[in-house]
Formats: sequence, C-alpha cells, structure tokens
Amino acid sequence: MRNSTAVMSAAAMVLGAGFMFAGCSKSGDGSSTDAGSDQVTEDIPTYTIGVIAKSSSNPVFMAARTGAVAAGERLSAELGVNVDVQWKTPPQEDAQVQAQYVEQLVASGIDGIAISVTDANVLNAALESAVAKGVIVVTFDSDAPDSGRMAYYGVDDMAAGAEVMRQLAGVMGGEGTVAVLTGNPAAVNLSNRVKGVEQAAAEFPGITIKDVYNFTPETATEAAAKMAQVQTANPDITGWALVGGWPLYTDNALDGIYETAKIVSMDPLPLPLEYVKKGQVQVLVGQPYFGWGEKSVEMIVEKKHFDRSPPSEFVYATFDIVTPDNVDAFGENWKAWLGED
Amino acid sequence: MSDAPSTRKPGVTQGQRRTLGGLFAHQESGLIIVILLMGLGLTIFGALNPVTLPTQQAVEPGATVTVLDKQNAIHPTGVLGRTDISAFRVTDPDGAAQDYRVSDGWWYDSEKFQLSREHTVNAFLNTEKLVLIVKDASFIAIMAVGMTGVIILAGIDLSVGSIYGLAGIVGAMVLTKMPADMSWALAVPIGLLVCIAVGGACGFANGAMSVGLRVHPFVITLGMMAALRGLTLVLPSELFETQSISGFPESFTKGFFKAEILGVEPVPALFMLAVAGAGWFVLSRTVFGRRVFAIGGNETAARYAGIPVARVKILVYTITGALAGLSGCLAIGFYGAGETNAGNAYELRVIAATVIGGASLMGGRGTVIGAVLGAIVIELINNSILILGIDQSYNQIVMGAAIIVAVVVDQTKQRLAAKRG
Repeated sequence: MRNSTAVMSAAAMVLGAGFMFAGCSKSGDGSSTDAGSDQVTEDIPTYTIGVIAKSSSNPVFMAARTGAVAAGERLSAELGVNVDVQWKTPPQEDAQVQAQYVEQLVASGIDGIAISVTDANVLNAALESAVAKGVIVVTFDSDAPDSGRMAYYGVDDMAAGAEVMRQLAGVMGGEGTVAVLTGNPAAVNLSNRVKGVEQAAAEFPGITIKDVYNFTPETATEAAAKMAQVQTANPDITGWALVGGWPLYTDNALDGIYETAKIVSMDPLPLPLEYVKKGQVQVLVGQPYFGWGEKSVEMIVEKKHFDRSPPSEFVYATFDIVTPDNVDAFGENWKAWLGED
Repeated sequence: MSDAPSTRKPGVTQGQRRTLGGLFAHQESGLIIVILLMGLGLTIFGALNPVTLPTQQAVEPGATVTVLDKQNAIHPTGVLGRTDISAFRVTDPDGAAQDYRVSDGWWYDSEKFQLSREHTVNAFLNTEKLVLIVKDASFIAIMAVGMTGVIILAGIDLSVGSIYGLAGIVGAMVLTKMPADMSWALAVPIGLLVCIAVGGACGFANGAMSVGLRVHPFVITLGMMAALRGLTLVLPSELFETQSISGFPESFTKGFFKAEILGVEPVPALFMLAVAGAGWFVLSRTVFGRRVFAIGGNETAARYAGIPVARVKILVYTITGALAGLSGCLAIGFYGAGETNAGNAYELRVIAATVIGGASLMGGRGTVIGAVLGAIVIELINNSILILGIDQSYNQIVMGAAIIVAVVVDQTKQRLAAKRG
C-alpha cells in the first residue's frame, strides 16, 4: 500500500514540477495567441479573450479560431497592447460544459468572451453573471439575446434560411418536394434558419415542404446517415435544403441522393466545395466563418480599449453565394482562413 | 477510509491507524496527495501568473465622467484608447470632481455608467475558483457515488448520462408549469421529487431487467442509454414543441440551487458533500453495504450465505438511477433550463471518476470518497489546462492518460499487496 502511495506521490510531484515549470515558461506554449508577449511590460494593457465555439470537431469553428487569433495579433500590433486569445471549446456540443467554461473563464479574470451559444436557455444565467462581473460578451453564429451580451455577429439566420430556399427553388424550377435538414433543434440559429426556409417556400406555389429532419449530435456521419434514411424512405423528394453543411464534410454523403434531388446547403467549406465541383450540390450559401472570430475579437477590444460599443447589438454579415462558376476562386479564401498562407 | 470493512489489512495495526503513517495506508491517501500536489503546483503557478478581477462601482446618478489624457487634458469618453488615458474624472452634480487613475487599475464603462477597479488574485488559489472546481465536479461526483456501488457489484451502468438528461427534462417540464412566484419550499421538493423519481424508476428498470432477464448489465444499460436518450428527445418535442425548456420559478434557481452565499454559488457542492457522506455511511457502516461488497467479491458465495442478491442488485441500480436524477435536478436548478443533449456521454466521465477513485471493474472493491475525489481530480485537470493556458484540445488526451495511469497504479498496488500475502 505504501509503495503505491509513493508511486502516486511521485507522479503528483512530477505534475507539480510540471506546473511550476510551466509557470516559468508560460509564453512558450503554443495554445493561446499571446501576441506581442515578447515586449510585454507593466505599462502595456493585456486583454484576455476567451473564444467558446459549439464544438471543436466542427471545421467551421476552426476558421473562427484562426480569425480570432489573427485579429488578436493584428490589434496587438496596431494598438500597442497585448491581446491574448484563449480557445476554450468542448469537443462535442454540450451547453452545460459551455456554461462551465464561461464560469471558469470569468473566475480566471477574462476580459471578454466570444461565444457561439449551443442552447441559450442553459447559457443565459452564466452569461448574465459574466456581464454583471464586467466581462464583455459577444455572441457569434448562434445568439443568446436575453443574456445581456453586448452584440451578436453573424448572418441574419432567417434571411440565411430564406436564401437557401430561394436558391433551391431557382435550381428546381420552382417545383418539387423539399426536405429540410437541420442539426440540434435546441439551437436558436438553426431553428431560425428553418423558419426562413419555410417562409421562403411559401413564395413558391409549386414547392412542398416534406418535413424538417433533425439529428444530434451534429456530426458529418450522423447527418449523412439521416439524409440517406430519409431519401430512401421518401423517393419523391426532389430537393434538399440544408441549413448547415454537416453531411458535406464526408466524401460520398450524397450517393443515391444527388441523382434525383437538387441540393442547396449552407457552409461552403473546403470539403463541401468539392460537391459543387462534382455537380452534386448546386449552390452553397456561406457565412463569415473567419469573421466570427475576427469581428468578435475586434468588438471586444474596441469596447475594452476605447469604451466604444457597436451602433447596434445585431451586427449582420452578408452571405457568400458559391456556384460552379465561382467555386475555384472561393476555395482560395480558405487557405488564408485556415492560416495556410 | 475504505468503504469496505473487509478491506482492512491485517498488516496495519490499530496503533498505526492512529498515526500519520496509518493515514497514508488508506486507499484514498494517494488521491489526496495527488490533489494536494496538483493544488500546490497550480498555486505556485497562479502566484507567478496572477489574474485580474474587477470590482464594480456605480457612478452616482447625475454625475458626469470625462477622460484625462497623459497631459491631463480633458476629453469625452469613447475617444481615447486605454494606453492614452491617465485618469477618469467623475464630477458630481454639485461640481465636486474626483479622479480615478488608470495606473491604480480603474476603468470606466460608459454604457453601464460604471467604474471598475482591477485587483490581482492568485489564478488558482481564490475562493471563487476553488468553489467552481468543486461545483463543476459535483454533477459527476454525485453520479459516481451510485456508480461505485454498481462497480463494486462487478456491474456497470452506461445509462446514467441518459437518466441525468431525462430526469432533468421531465423536471423542467413540470417546473415550467409552476407559478413564477412559487416559494422555494414548494418548488425545490417538487423538483427533487420528480427528478429523483424519474431517475429511480429508470434505475429500477435497469436492475430488474438485468436480474430478471439474466442479461449482463452492460447490455441492459446500453439499451437503456439509447432508449432514454430517445425519450429525452421525444418528450419535450411532442409536448412542448421544443428541445430546451426554461422559465422555472426563480425560487428554484437563483433562490436555491444557484443561490449566492458569500460571493460563491456552493449549493451543488454542498449536495455532493451530503451524498458522499451518506454513500460512505451506507457502504461502510450498514448491513446493506457489507452485502454489496460480498456480492461483488463472490456472488455465488454471497448467495450461499443467504444474501438476497437480486434484491440488493436491484436496489443498487435504483439508487444509482435516483442519484443521476438528483444530479439532473441540480443541473436544471443551477443552469435554469433542461435540454435534450444534457448528460450526453457523461457515463464515461462518471465511470472514469469511479475508476480513478480506486474502484475495480472486476468488482468487490471501491470507495465512495475515492469516486468523489476522482471527480475532483478530473475537474482539476480540466481547470489546470485553462490555468496553464494549454490548448483545450489536449484536455481529453490528459484525461485519458490520467485514467490509464490510475488503473495501472491501482493494479500495481494489488500485485504488491498480493505478494505480501
């Protein structure tokens, strides 16, 4: 028994020594963007910003992370401050874990939080508490309007859903049966996009909505499986409106579907772009993935440094429309957004 | 401190137990040392890398705030950047002015009409952080107390995460129908009763099916995990047309489960302590507890000894379900909403906490205190990654390594004990 205690003690001492070592060499870790840390003196303000996306396994949020880091580096240089961006995102979608991350960041003295909210009902209390403690909160992609956050940055979700439906109606010639694919039905942004799809569909008398199909967890394989199941059970479906690009993050998600149905989706990421090139997806409607992180960090620093808030609490971005005509040019953007330049 | 009376080693004398050396002979002593040393390391790190926390101070109504630059020239707010500001000047309606210097940590938010002053604290060793770690651990730890009994029985319960989610969503459906001004004395018992009843019923079903159908609990609870998760998705969708339910009486959330006491929100942590105490008592000081260890050690022998194996097993699974329901109730009370994804994959965290706490998946061994400490170790690792500024993506790698190390150390301990006879 004492031997085992000694083994555990030794392991703990190694851990403890590791912490102390880390304490002496914090700026060397590769995890957070401690931009300008080499020149940090006591006179240079440091703004620490936590970025909490929905899930670190979703590639759209990796672009947001790159955007946040890039904004941190740029603003550090421009303003002569030290903007430290900390990425704090659960591996899978979990609103409770997001709320715990908010609380942990607040207790760690964070200056601002940029968050894509998985479930506003669960996050509201934690975000309200953060705001009450002086933390500047900006939401991106998915909002929590009752949380007291300073601003939301992203597309107008109902308009985005409507855009998907109008593009789909265009390629379907205004006629046919449409299935709508969405992810976590508790997410406010997704439910608003679905509403947008349904409202826009009403503009086309020849279009019928078969149903709205949701799936959780929001993974590519779950989405692809759901589409295949639905299409097999309902061969009369001639159009798919995807309010997120989940199934298109796999290689062959649309086999057995694209032959009979037109498909318009959100999220022109590198893998979904391949579907446009193959002619299996007709149109992709894009969100400002890089901008989610970039603009959120900009707004927080603007408030923290200059005490300036955005003119409106809703800062809407425009859509990118990707078709076979511009798919190659659009693909070049991703090299910069993913930090490959 | 081991829950099993039978695990007291003959080599450790009564006299030794009274000494510090005796203390180190307990099963949980290694975990306590790990926690203390991690805490020590984090405290030193936190002292070398302190964090700043703001204290707010409202500006008096009618007062005006202006900004002084480095040359003490006056500017309106929102024009200069922080690096160009030397002080904020607050001028009272009667003309009296007071300067709040940026070099002293003062800052002003024109939107909230509020001054704040930053003060530095240890990044780890501060009350808010410590209570937060224990609070975050409590949801898992409470379920781990039940899981300890199951694992001692050489069983497993893969459905605790789904029970946690279902109990929470059913509790939320009931609470959202309660009057907004309902007293906490009514709202809290109703919430607890509903969630614990749902959890207990699911746990009873696990135990009864496993025993009655003579199917390994892995299979039964795997099936229940999927079925209960499906029910969690379907119920609110069919009855409320939503996947997330909030709008409880405030007395249930901020009035009780999220109540602030001395600047922290400790209620889930207090529940965890109460459950851990009760669990320790039941497993180590009651006939029922002795029976659980006896069945886990040798089920056939226990049956020949006249122990009602089926009844004990069903009761253990029922208690585990009820504790998952209690944990779900704490979660909806603390976060103010029930949602269909709640508790997804939590069973793995609960099992990890139990195993790190020294429970043997072969059965016959485990402690409630160890399971609670295991949950705290997991949360400490989680928080360490944030405090040390390590990429969050490494969290799962560290967590996985911790589980493997804990099991290897535990097995080494068993081999050494066996060699000593």
